[in-house]
Amino acid sequence: MSPILIIVLIIIALILFFIARVDLKNILTLYLLGFILYLLSFTVAEMPPFGDPGNPSFNEVPGRYLEAGPEETGAVNVTSSIITDYRAFDTLGEATVLFAAIAAALATLKAHRRN
Amino acid sequence: MEDQVVRLTSRLVAPFIQIYGIYIILHGHLSPGGGFSGGAIFGASLILVALSFNLATGVKQISHTTASVLESGGALGFALTGFVAIAMGGNYLANRAAGFPMGETGQLFSAGAIFLITLFVGIKVASTITTLFYNIIEKEQ
Repeated sequence: MSPILIIVLIIIALILFFIARVDLKNILTLYLLGFILYLLSFTVAEMPPFGDPGNPSFNEVPGRYLEAGPEETGAVNVTSSIITDYRAFDTLGEATVLFAAIAAALATLKAHRRN
Repeated sequence: MEDQVVRLTSRLVAPFIQIYGIYIILHGHLSPGGGFSGGAIFGASLILVALSFNLATGVKQISHTTASVLESGGALGFALTGFVAIAMGGNYLANRAAGFPMGETGQLFSAGAIFLITLFVGIKVASTITTLFYNIIEKEQ
């Protein structure tokens, strides 16, 4: 952030406070949100480009899944072979989350209905 | 809701939706889809019947007890498939390494544990969606 930008921001804040009579809390909220927006856009701009073969996610793991998947798991559908064979434990956790969610929802609904 | 057109249409369409859901669950290891999406389609057909008729007709198709048993049984069957793999001498939820019958790749009854897991997940998701919908709509009546 250059000094000129900071000076401009301070002047805008002074104009908002003294001339437009905006609440000080609202100005602070606006500036905090602007700072978060700046940080997030900076992070997004630093991400690797979409579909680039040099991305860190293109390592040996997807190649192994695509080449040896049908032979190792017997499933032609590669997505299915990943979620129910290579990462079946993850899918079990997913089913557990679903079970806990429905149990909580039913407990809430039925407790409300009894009155 | 007393609409003859909606009732007749849903009565005609529901069996085809259910067949399609079962097809997607059973072909989870061959074509796009699987337990979650197929179970959602099957549950949606039951919801459609309950919506176009009334709750009593929907509950007649799958009662609360049946839905609870199916829901818990689906999750339990998934976990037990992993323990069966341990009993057969592999790791938890292992498939080929534990020695499940693999069959011929590309056929309907193949891929060992994947077929079973997809079936259990499909049963669980279908009954979960139906149970949740019935319990939400029950308060209205």
